[in-house]
Amino acid sequence: MYKDVLRSMDGIELFPSISLILFFTFFLILIIYLIRTGKDFWKDAANIPLDSDKIFNPKNSKQ
Amino acid sequence: MSVDTFHYDNKIVRNFGIATMIWGIIGFLVGLIVALKFIWPDFLGFIPELSFGRLRPLHTNAVIFAFAGNAIFYGVYYSLPRLCKASMWSEKLSKIHFWGWQAIIVSAVATLPFGITTSKEYAELEWPIDIAITLIWVIFGVNMIMTIMKRREKHIYVAIWFYIATFVTVAVLHLVNSFEVPATLLKSYPIYAGVQDALVQWWYGHNAVAFFLTTPFLGIMYYFIPKASNRPIFSYRLSIVHFWSLIFIYIWAGPHHLLYTALPGWAQTLGVVFSLMLIAPSWGGMLNGLLTLRGAWDKVREDPVLKFMVVAVTAYGMVTFEGPMLSIANVNAIAHYSDYIIGHVHNGALLWNGGLAFGMLYFITPRIYETKLFSTKLANIHFWFATMGAIFYVIPMYWGGITQSLMWKEFTDQGFLAYPNFLETVVQIIPMYALRAFGGTLFIIGALFGVYNLYKTAKSGSLLKAEEAQAPALQKHAGDENESWHRRLEGRPLKFTLLTVVAILIGGIVEYMPTALIDSNIPTIESVQPYTALEVEGRDIYIAEGCNNCHSQMIRPFRSETERYGEYSKAGEFVYDHPFLWGSKRTGPDLHRIGGKYPDSWHLRHMYDPNSTSPGSIMPAYPWLLTQDMDMESMPNRIEALSTVGVPYSPRYPEYAVGDMKAQAERITQGLRENGFDIIEGIEITSEKKVIALIAYLQRLGTDISGENDPFGELPSSKKLSPVIMEKK
Repeated sequence: MYKDVLRSMDGIELFPSISLILFFTFFLILIIYLIRTGKDFWKDAANIPLDSDKIFNPKNSKQ
Repeated sequence: MSVDTFHYDNKIVRNFGIATMIWGIIGFLVGLIVALKFIWPDFLGFIPELSFGRLRPLHTNAVIFAFAGNAIFYGVYYSLPRLCKASMWSEKLSKIHFWGWQAIIVSAVATLPFGITTSKEYAELEWPIDIAITLIWVIFGVNMIMTIMKRREKHIYVAIWFYIATFVTVAVLHLVNSFEVPATLLKSYPIYAGVQDALVQWWYGHNAVAFFLTTPFLGIMYYFIPKASNRPIFSYRLSIVHFWSLIFIYIWAGPHHLLYTALPGWAQTLGVVFSLMLIAPSWGGMLNGLLTLRGAWDKVREDPVLKFMVVAVTAYGMVTFEGPMLSIANVNAIAHYSDYIIGHVHNGALLWNGGLAFGMLYFITPRIYETKLFSTKLANIHFWFATMGAIFYVIPMYWGGITQSLMWKEFTDQGFLAYPNFLETVVQIIPMYALRAFGGTLFIIGALFGVYNLYKTAKSGSLLKAEEAQAPALQKHAGDENESWHRRLEGRPLKFTLLTVVAILIGGIVEYMPTALIDSNIPTIESVQPYTALEVEGRDIYIAEGCNNCHSQMIRPFRSETERYGEYSKAGEFVYDHPFLWGSKRTGPDLHRIGGKYPDSWHLRHMYDPNSTSPGSIMPAYPWLLTQDMDMESMPNRIEALSTVGVPYSPRYPEYAVGDMKAQAERITQGLRENGFDIIEGIEITSEKKVIALIAYLQRLGTDISGENDPFGELPSSKKLSPVIMEKK
């Protein structure tokens, strides 16, 4: 049954190639973007685990 | 700016922690029991529920879903609210999740030892439990996503991305691999057969490792290593690349479990290429974790939490180097089916998963009990027991695995197999099995020290059930539009989740679709026919006893294998195999061409006492197969279920199934009687015993290809139905 569903889709053989190209492009853009934004841009995000209980919850920050 | 006050639920964290420890110890002990059976096959023997084939799936399920599973939830329920600066969305759902998950584990304990299993590795649980898993998993996911929606921290930290990927991918994997048609309350047949079933199963199996034992633990690494070392992750940008490349590439790698099998060549190649590529994101992630500790290595010397985590990440690096190497075809040719793979997975399980789980337990317990760790010294002793235990486990398995495999492949100068008797290759590595059991024992002793230490720690403090925290309320995404795109994406959990789903679906679809779509990928063989009712019963007994845990049914096209076992296996031979039973390890020889190799009486004696036919064998005895009756009552239902999944029995065959069973069983029993095997050690062999069905199945295995078979020819159904088998759709 599931085979019939797949068979009935037109041009299905192109899907894999399209998706691969899409993803390759995605990675290239991602890497260019990350290089361009620079390290400091992400500093606050990287610190989330550390300041989650530091600023507003002094009780826990002792540990 | 208004500041909200809210609470972190530490009770649920504690509960998952306790569950991690209890199930961990149980899972490890079952592992030790099955390891001891390699040295003393009769250890706890002659009890069906405690036989190797039934306990091994219990061990794997217990350590993966009970130990590592609870450890994942332990880490998530601790870190997620803190990273979101919000309470879990619903405490009630947290509770249902906790108790539901424990109930699923208990149901595994209550079914697997009783032979209720699908035989598909790490997906052995039968269909009602599959449904329960789906429900509980969705509850976990809803609670998690809603917590993220209600967060007070705008940015979603990288650990949470890994948790999201875990949730959505495990959901997809579990659903796709569990399409099965129930035959009875506790028995089902997968809709896929043979090659397709193998492909789907290993797409699932490999990605269970990826998205149950890797991604959630990477999330844990991204939270707990910075926490424990008190410094941010080495490179946040690297973690972004790590995340997207890992989840995209991982999903393609499954077919490396099926190299040289009857799987179409292009699918095998695709699996190898992506497995090799996988080393890049894996090592990127590992280095990101380890380099976080730059300038803090002095802390590693003192802090058991960091010790466990550093060894965990290092082991992750080793295992993810080994993985791509093992997926190269000619390395795989040597390592596959051998104990090398058992060493490989335990390197990951004991040190990577175990290390992070215990690291977390040592980190979280003193904090939620507002006290200090009872004994740092004892934690360090635990660390050494765990590490040495893993080394004593892994190295003998590597050694034994390679020895075993080279012996399988060795030829004499005259061109004969150097070790034609498979048993020689088993006996040779029994000392390695003994060392492995020793390593496992060390690991368990260490874990017991850990449990004691954590118990005393908890005793010395009191649980801070609701931990108060404060954070400013999250402003409605003001000014979002000016943000860079990935930052924006990280502020939108639903879009993020959707993109993750797209990333993981692509690999799965591309791999699976052509096999499902194009019939020519699985060439049919005219002479291959469905199993008779008695053979179906025999096959179900084979599955229930877990024979596939030690015996493969897949002869690879190597001279060493065709010499030993016979003609290599073809894809078209498995078209009626729901489920496929190719196996993944050869503690015993391959069975695909066992049919007709020995007389029925050989199998009868071998099942009763393997040593009587194969001196020195470490196969357990199955005396109960000679005394227990086969199940005739549910046979019509089972034939109907098999018809539903595509086996072309005549629509009226269910009516004749029991008659066929009886006739074929009587014929086999008669043959045994004529050869003087009517009584074995006082047990009368009658035609309704399980062993008769198993013999029927084993004698049929791999024989259709000769074209001389007419399995239904002399059975009563063939006189009433014409034909018994319809044209294949």
